[in-house]
Amino acid sequence: MSLFTQPIGLTHYLVVGAILFAAGVVCMVTKRNAIGVLMGIELVLNGANLNFVAFANPALRADPGRAVAWMDGHMIALFVIVLAAAEAAVALAIVLSFYHNHASVDVDEADELKG
Amino acid sequence: MNPINWHSCFFLLAAAVACAAALGVVASKNVVRMAVFLLHALGAVAGLFFLAGADFVGAMQLMIYVGGTLVLIAFGVMLTARRPFLSMDTKLAQWIAGTLVGGCLLAVLLRSALSVDDWAGPVSAAPRAQAEDLATAAPLGMGMLGVRVDRLDEPEAARREGMSGYLLPFEIISVHLLVVLIGAAYLARSTRPGEARLRENVEDKINAG
Amino acid sequence: MDLSTTLPILLGLAWLLPLASFALVVLFGPWMGRRGVGAGYLATGAIAAAFVLSFVALLGWLGQHGLASGEHGAHADPIPPVAGEWYALGTFGALTITIGYYIDSLTLVMFMMVTLVATCIHVYSFGYMHEELGVVTDPLVTRANGRPLKRRGRFHRFYQYFSLFCFSMLGLVLAGNVAMVFVFWELVGICSYLLIGFYIERQSASNAANKAFIVNRVGDFGMLIGMMVLWSTLGTFSFSGIFEQVRPAASGHALVVPDGMVRAAAADEVERIVLANPNPAIAERNIAAQVPAWREAGHGRWLLIVAGLGIFCGCVGKSAQFPLHVWLPDAMEGPTPVSALIHAATMVAAGVYLVGRFYPVFTPEVLLVIACVGAITLFMAATIAITATDIKRVLAYSTVSQLGYMMLGLGVGGWVAGLFHLITHAFFKSLLFLGSGSVIHACGTNEMPRMGGLRRKMPWTAGTMLVGALAISGAGIPLLIGLSGYHSKDAILAQVFAFRKDNPGQGDLLFWIAAMGAAITAFYMFRLWYMTFAGEPRDAHAAAHAHESPRSMVAPLVVLAALAVVGGWNVPWTGLGVRPLVDQARPLGTEVGMTAPAAAIPAESASHEPAIHRIVSWIAFFAALGGFLVATGFYGLRQLDPEKVRRVLAPVHWFLKNKWFFDELYRWVFVRPTLAAARVVAALDRIVLDGLAHGAAGLVRLVSRLDDLIDRLIVDRLVNAVGEWTYATGLRLRAVQSGNLRQYVMWIAVGTVGLFVLVSLFWNYAAAGN
Repeated sequence: MSLFTQPIGLTHYLVVGAILFAAGVVCMVTKRNAIGVLMGIELVLNGANLNFVAFANPALRADPGRAVAWMDGHMIALFVIVLAAAEAAVALAIVLSFYHNHASVDVDEADELKG
Repeated sequence: MNPINWHSCFFLLAAAVACAAALGVVASKNVVRMAVFLLHALGAVAGLFFLAGADFVGAMQLMIYVGGTLVLIAFGVMLTARRPFLSMDTKLAQWIAGTLVGGCLLAVLLRSALSVDDWAGPVSAAPRAQAEDLATAAPLGMGMLGVRVDRLDEPEAARREGMSGYLLPFEIISVHLLVVLIGAAYLARSTRPGEARLRENVEDKINAG
Repeated sequence: MDLSTTLPILLGLAWLLPLASFALVVLFGPWMGRRGVGAGYLATGAIAAAFVLSFVALLGWLGQHGLASGEHGAHADPIPPVAGEWYALGTFGALTITIGYYIDSLTLVMFMMVTLVATCIHVYSFGYMHEELGVVTDPLVTRANGRPLKRRGRFHRFYQYFSLFCFSMLGLVLAGNVAMVFVFWELVGICSYLLIGFYIERQSASNAANKAFIVNRVGDFGMLIGMMVLWSTLGTFSFSGIFEQVRPAASGHALVVPDGMVRAAAADEVERIVLANPNPAIAERNIAAQVPAWREAGHGRWLLIVAGLGIFCGCVGKSAQFPLHVWLPDAMEGPTPVSALIHAATMVAAGVYLVGRFYPVFTPEVLLVIACVGAITLFMAATIAITATDIKRVLAYSTVSQLGYMMLGLGVGGWVAGLFHLITHAFFKSLLFLGSGSVIHACGTNEMPRMGGLRRKMPWTAGTMLVGALAISGAGIPLLIGLSGYHSKDAILAQVFAFRKDNPGQGDLLFWIAAMGAAITAFYMFRLWYMTFAGEPRDAHAAAHAHESPRSMVAPLVVLAALAVVGGWNVPWTGLGVRPLVDQARPLGTEVGMTAPAAAIPAESASHEPAIHRIVSWIAFFAALGGFLVATGFYGLRQLDPEKVRRVLAPVHWFLKNKWFFDELYRWVFVRPTLAAARVVAALDRIVLDGLAHGAAGLVRLVSRLDDLIDRLIVDRLVNAVGEWTYATGLRLRAVQSGNLRQYVMWIAVGTVGLFVLVSLFWNYAAAGN
């Protein structure tokens, strides 16, 4: 079981991030509940964030010299977190507003902008 | 037989939790359960952050996501978790299409993740990051004030201080957040014209359901 | 008191007061008092104040210069005029246009006469124009529905024009240069035009106004030529400047051809000298040395004659002299006070005044022309007056005739005589016009055959008219005293007699014409008086309607009658009178006669010889007496029958009745050809130019129709096709916008994957530099 003995590399993080990302997308695609869609978004953002943080760590590479400055990755991850919080607030406000008006949180009913 | 790399073990644990919880979010039909799975996934990601040497980001992940956003989502779930909406079925065809697309996406992402040798990991199991490496809070705070303490060796003064700091993005995001929160407060106002009629609508649907 | 500063102020104020009145009436006229009656008070007040100011100015003048300067040739030192400028309007190269003044005793006398007569007529108009205060029904204008025209009264408008006229007339008299004279000359012309056409709704009135204006333009054209000659050769418009050059002190104020005219006429010689001498100073000296020789050779004399004739041309138009006299009788279409003020006393006399003002410039040849024109006019107009039956037309022809007398007097050297007659004529002719206005006001008609026997109904009017008739006839006791007309007309006749002595032949003709004119004057004046006032009423309706005019009309009549009596007298023991005052203004150098091959102009002192005076007085007396007796025989005592004479002299009567056929002559010579030419041009316009325009329009329409076709068949279809295609595509693409949020997300994912696949398949890493 080399996984337990070998040091963890960037790829491992990227694989986890990819799984989170894909799961988020599938969640967004399949959930009719607006809250579910929102959760999918959170997953997608987390997957992306994981990549940022992983890339910021030079110790995860074979050649640490090729790493970028660690602070940039962390800073962007922070901003993403904050923006995700704000986005969640707004999205929930929209969902509540939609719920007030349509008595529903089914995104399939929100098709007023249909062409 | 190499000694067990505990760092890797914790990573695998956290990664497994994160992936499993994410799949749980996808798979579960009940929105309350989805929220619980999401809680786990986000917490595991925070652990991954710690493991990647990003202690401050991980802390923020826990505080803001798990402590803030998720509470917000739970709040939304409770507000809307009436019987007809608690679980809404999706057609099988949509499930298949969604899974197909998600699988393709996953395949693409995995292919790119595995394609670079440099990313495979350190050649030797060198001692992991020292304690000071993990103290990222102070440099990040200075970075938000415009000073890159990680670049103090930089010969160029402009790159060393100010130019590559994050004061401006920080300010922009602050203002952005303010606007967003005001907008959210406006959107989520409870009393609106015509609300009574809509509430009746809701009652009707509930009764009918 | 320094006259050179006070006179311009006093007269300038007197001049501008009517302008102020005009401006106020223009702006506020209709709201002044009840129906604008206040405008009348304002205008009358302004002109009366102007009269007072003129009177003060006259007193100041008399205080400075004493009284008579010796009427009978014993000239004391000449009194220089007060001349100067108020304001320079602008300088255009060598030409300077200024508002200036030229004040001598003639100016003062004219000011007195104009303001006094104008004041009387302003007061008179209150009565005469009274109807204009209300709604006026004009029986002479028939509307389309057959009813007489009804219109609002124009009382204020009448006084507005009167004020403007007084301002213009005083400005004309006061003017210090020819340009200013011309401006005011035209201003009085426009006032005359406006007032003749006061009853604008009457076709005859508007025609008459146009006629007066157009005929005057003919004369003014000549005046412009004269002005151009004067300015281009003398370089100045001012009277003082012109007189200094025409009658230089060096020659004892004798008329010489000025250097400027000599040089202008001898342009060839001047050019030769200039070409021969490169040095301008030497050339200038040589030219100056040559000028006397050229003058001896007669160079430039024709320019002086042209200048004089040109100025006189303007005077012919304004003073209604032959051949431009035709407008004045028609001008009687205006209200009677207008006829009295403008077309009898002041404006028409302006021509005579200007001849008097320009007297130093006139050569003997020009003076002879003036005399001949005057003689022809006086005889012709007098003969026409015999047959006229319209009371105002009789007076109009009489005015023309009397103006002819003035011109004759001036032309034969009687400078004082002509201008003296101008003043006295203003008094008695305005009196006669106002009297006739009173009669018309009472009877409602102009036609004398419908009057008669009015003396009992209108004793004041009849009496004052009689005074006027006597004055114009020159009634008086020979060699002793008479009415104003006696003095002035005798002076003219005496001057003509003196002229006859120097110029036998032509002088004889002029003298006998003048004498005959005197007889005819007496005849037609008394014919008028008898037909109007004597005998029994011929029209019962008119007579029953008749009544004495209101006091505001009678009072001016009395004042003017008094002036008509005493206007020619000198104040006892002082020698103060109009004649010595005018004599004070005599231009330098005109007190001696002039001789030329064409005519010898005698000095005015020649007419004062007792021998001449005695003969002329008796001739004039008997001529007037003859005319009076014949008129009495025909119309007063009715011992002779006018009808019989008319039958016997039918061709003559026909000739006179048609006013010597001047109107017909002008109609055939000028009006008809002009109209014909206009018609030809109009036809050309209609056929050629309109045809061209229509053709162009048709072409444009054709092109536009074609264009329209292209537009509709090609451009529109193309545009529509593009539009329809876009619309159809939009409809098809519409399905993509399903509105399904989850679908969108899926498509994003699919797009991402697709993009990745594309990139990994087709991205050339080598080309990307990696």
